[in-house]
Amino acid sequence: MSDQHHIRSLVKEAEIYRGQGLFVASREKYLHILQFIENNKRLCNDKKLVNTVKNKIVNLENDVAGLHQETAVPELSQDVQGLIKKLFSFSEDQGAAAMEGAVALAKFGQYEAALAEFQRLLEEGTFPLMAAKNILRCHLALSSPNVAIDQFGQWVSGNLLSKEYLKHTRAFLANVLEKRGIKTELPEVAQTSSVADQKDEQEDVLDISSVRVQLENGPDKGSVVEFDVSFQSGNIISVIVSARQKDLADTFSLGIRLPDIQFYSPIAIFRGSGIVSGKTKIKSGPKRGDYMLDIKIEGA
Amino acid sequence: MAIFNAKNRVIECKIVYYGPGRGGKTTNLEYIFKAFRKQTTGEMVSIDTKGDRTLFFDFLPMGIGKIRGCDVSIQLYTVPGQVKYGSTRKMVLKGVDGIVFVADSLEVRRTDNLFSLKDLQQNLAEQNMSIFEVPLVLQYNKRDLAEEGIPLIPVETMDGGLNKKLKVPSYPASALKGTGVGATLKECLKLTLRNLQQELKWAR
Repeated sequence: MSDQHHIRSLVKEAEIYRGQGLFVASREKYLHILQFIENNKRLCNDKKLVNTVKNKIVNLENDVAGLHQETAVPELSQDVQGLIKKLFSFSEDQGAAAMEGAVALAKFGQYEAALAEFQRLLEEGTFPLMAAKNILRCHLALSSPNVAIDQFGQWVSGNLLSKEYLKHTRAFLANVLEKRGIKTELPEVAQTSSVADQKDEQEDVLDISSVRVQLENGPDKGSVVEFDVSFQSGNIISVIVSARQKDLADTFSLGIRLPDIQFYSPIAIFRGSGIVSGKTKIKSGPKRGDYMLDIKIEGA
Repeated sequence: MAIFNAKNRVIECKIVYYGPGRGGKTTNLEYIFKAFRKQTTGEMVSIDTKGDRTLFFDFLPMGIGKIRGCDVSIQLYTVPGQVKYGSTRKMVLKGVDGIVFVADSLEVRRTDNLFSLKDLQQNLAEQNMSIFEVPLVLQYNKRDLAEEGIPLIPVETMDGGLNKKLKVPSYPASALKGTGVGATLKECLKLTLRNLQQELKWAR
């Protein structure tokens, strides 16, 4: 194969990669071509050829850099937003499904639409704590911490949220603002009860990061074990018990009640009880052989 | 998570096309939308960025008629393949009933395929599903590029690398030309419906 033919074949390959959006592979191929030209006595002085290849490499480097830039999330049409809500709500319960749909909108960057949904849910009294926290999340995602702070102030002076919920919401907002390095005095929650205090029928569960469980049976009865929470869905948390601790895993038989659990969340520690509602041996992945325990928090 | 309405005898299941970015997942759906027009029950929804990279997901609803006394409708999704969209992939994967893993046959994508398959395994494990148990079909896409003289991974090598432990059906394909696209979907549907029959006993 002649040198020209060889280069043509490499360029064809590089261009196919580029056409497929595989910019890194294309750049690598052009670097290979450049090296071939520079090592070739007959071609290395062909400045036009060398510059053409170098320009290609620069352009591809720009394309690669573009890939790493944050992509602006487009505002989707109402139809598509409606579709997202429909496709990503799985619960049979209407309120829970509406909340899932609103969370999906937020996760897909449709913050304005999600805000409207969360506001509606809050006003309806559907999962008010979750709705309130998500409203704040949306404001913060829209880069408006001041709006989030003002919103919290409005809740404090209104009666949409109970005193307990306001306290949780305040702690949540304070935590987020602190993480962002924003120092501000949030309105204090008054000690008097509001209308919303009387309708605390569905306390939302906090995000739980770890638990300490007092063992009620088994060889280590009375001792305390600590687990990180790997997953949480509402009032069900999942923890992993290592395969090396089979005796411990056996202690947690399905349906067993755990009367003494300490729950740790970023904003509070509380004591409660739970029931082992699921136990699965993980069959694949890095945790293969370990046990996944689902614990349903009682009274949540 | 399939929905089975026993009263109306309707079953709705979700199939997700997974795989590395630029591997041809969207192209699969585009071909299906074009070639199986009679079976599609709505428009294909595609949300991409400039440069045609999938940003969120593609969605295509289909109805494949009555199977053993039950109206079967399927929802086809793709995930965004780019590594940075991990949380979107997890979200789209939620409630999945069957998966088509679209691997890129290009020699230069060998490790991307492996990373993506590993990512799928982890994301399934997070929802208490096993890659060894979920209905899964592998598709080795872009085989047509061999005609252009582009180095491809031989099918046997792809099978050895990706499918050695999984031992699931695999199909060479060219999503752009449509080769193998229908066969892949058909096989995935067959496995999915068989799996759902064991779970939901939907068939008469």
